[in-house]
Formats: sequence, structure tokens, C-alpha cells
Amino acid sequence: MLQIAFYFALLSLVSVGGIPSVMPEMQRLVVDVQGWMSAAEYTQLFAIAQAAPGPNVLVTALIGWKVAGPAGGLVALGAFCGPAAALAYSIGGYWDRMRDAPWRKVLQRALVPISVGFIVSGGYVLATPQGPGWQSALIAGAGAATLYATRLNPLWILAAGGVLGYLLF
Amino acid sequence: MSSPPVTLWELYWGFLSIGARSFGGVLPWAHRVIVEERRWVAPADFAEVLALCQFLPGPNVGNVSVVLGRRWFGPMGAVVAFAGLMALPLFWVFGLALLYADFASVPAVKAVVTGVGVAGGGLFIGTAFKLAKPLARKPWGIALAASCFGVIAIGRVSLFAVLPVMLLLGWLAARRGLI
Repeated sequence: MLQIAFYFALLSLVSVGGIPSVMPEMQRLVVDVQGWMSAAEYTQLFAIAQAAPGPNVLVTALIGWKVAGPAGGLVALGAFCGPAAALAYSIGGYWDRMRDAPWRKVLQRALVPISVGFIVSGGYVLATPQGPGWQSALIAGAGAATLYATRLNPLWILAAGGVLGYLLF
Repeated sequence: MSSPPVTLWELYWGFLSIGARSFGGVLPWAHRVIVEERRWVAPADFAEVLALCQFLPGPNVGNVSVVLGRRWFGPMGAVVAFAGLMALPLFWVFGLALLYADFASVPAVKAVVTGVGVAGGGLFIGTAFKLAKPLARKPWGIALAASCFGVIAIGRVSLFAVLPVMLLLGWLAARRGLI
């Protein structure tokens, strides 16, 4: 539990772009390095966090729970949110005052492509729990295209993914 | 006109009602409750706060709760707003996970849940393409995003090694107006 708390606290500080950005690194840790679960189980936990109402950061609580019980869930969530929240807490006012500073604009522009690359990586890692295959490419590709091109509530996309998963996997 | 919450209790209920209803994404509900229903902040103000919170590491709407809670009630406000946001979703997600644990051995259930997860990955990819719209005519930006994808998703290199390098490259490119 200490291990997961420490690691998630570190991840908290590099999660630019939010939870999607750290999904590959988190999977690398819990699946590849520690062997706490399989890649398929990882994607399933993420699916539960996505399907339930609430912020998708709750996937950290599910991972913590799976690894170290209910208390582990709370610890993992707290460890992941705490450091970033402390940063948001301390930087909020300062950031407003720097609204027109050139370095702030440079930093903001620099972060756009980085976040984009990280978030696509998160999507790719979650969509290929058994390695790439036409089934997951179809489900993820259709989901991505629908979200991009329409204003449909994402819940319908998840539901359609469930139906396709039933038919294809 | 905006009128901030007067009591901690009001703050807690507001964020509780965001978490309670946030099927399919928290952000639309955060906007509806904070800006439209309770009118705690003006729309432009909300956009500013959100921009900061998307830029900072951590869960976006979680950061919004901390920044706004702090603005009105100091440290206590930050804690109360965050707790309100997470309370009900945490309850539900654990409930759903327990339920799933009972049925995880049924192959059909596993297939459905995997399909949902894969579609959720697709949602991330769709979101990223929306964010990438300003990069459409910036080949350096596209190249940077593509290299992030290459080393993280395909190369499986640790984020801790990749982020500093990419930040430096991004900073240099942005300073020259390439991004």
C-alpha cells in the first residue's frame, strides 16, 4: 500500500492533461513492473470507472482497492489527488496575476501537443488490452470518431462499446 | 451576476450535486451547477479557472473544486468542495466494482466490460483530436504529439523520462512560434 501511495503521488505531479495522460505509465507499473493484475483486468477496472458517474480519476481508487483492499482504494485516490491539489491550491492566485506574461503563453502553447500525444497514448493503451486487433480497433475507432464528429452523450458510446464487446470478444 | 456560496454547507451540497449527476462526464455538470444553476461564478470566470485546471496536473474538475473552494473559504473550502465532489461517485464506483467482482467469471460479462473499456479508450482518442484542432497547420506541433505517442504508447518508455524531454522541446518550439 505504501508503494502504491508513493508511486501515485509521484504520478499526480506529472499528470498534465489529467487521468488519460497517466494511464500508460500506471499500466506499466501495475501490470508490467509489479504484476498486480493483467492488462485485461486493468482495462476492465477503467471501464467500471468510466461507466459509473463521477470523475474518471476514480479508477485510481479501484486500482488501489484491487491491490490493497478498500483502504488501499482511499489511499490511492488521496495520493493521486493530493499533490496536484496542493499545487492547484498554491498556484491559483499567482496564475491569474500572470495572465499576460509571455512565458505563460509559451508554456500553454507547448503543453497542447504534449497533452494530445499523452492522451492518445492513454486511449491506445486502454483500447488494446490483448494487443492490437481489428475488434478493438473497430470499437475504439468508432467511439473516437463519434465523439469527435457528434454531440452525442459519451454514455451512449460506452453502451455501444459494451454491445460490440459482447458480440466480438 | 454571480453570487458565491455563503456557507460551507451550501458549497458541499453544490459539489455533491455535481458528483451525483455526472453520468458520462463531470465537466458539463460542473458547468451547469456552478455557472447556470447556482450562479457562483460568471461564465468567463469559469472558463479561466478551467483553463488553469486543465493545464495543471491532476484531475481537472477535482482541481476546479480545490481552486474555487479555496477562493471562498480558504483551506476548509478546498477540502469540503473536493469531498463533496467525490463522495457519491466513490460510493457508486465501489458498489459497481463489487457487483462486477461477483460476475467477473462470466465470459459474457467480461466481454461487455472489456468492450466498454475499449470504447472508453476511444473516447480519450476522440477528445485528444478535439484538443488537437489548433495544431492542424502546425507540423512541429503534430510531430511533437506523434513522438509523445510513439515513445509512450509504442515504446513503453516511462512518463517520468518522457515529460521533461518533451517539455523542453515544446518550450523551444513554442518560443520560436513553431507551435
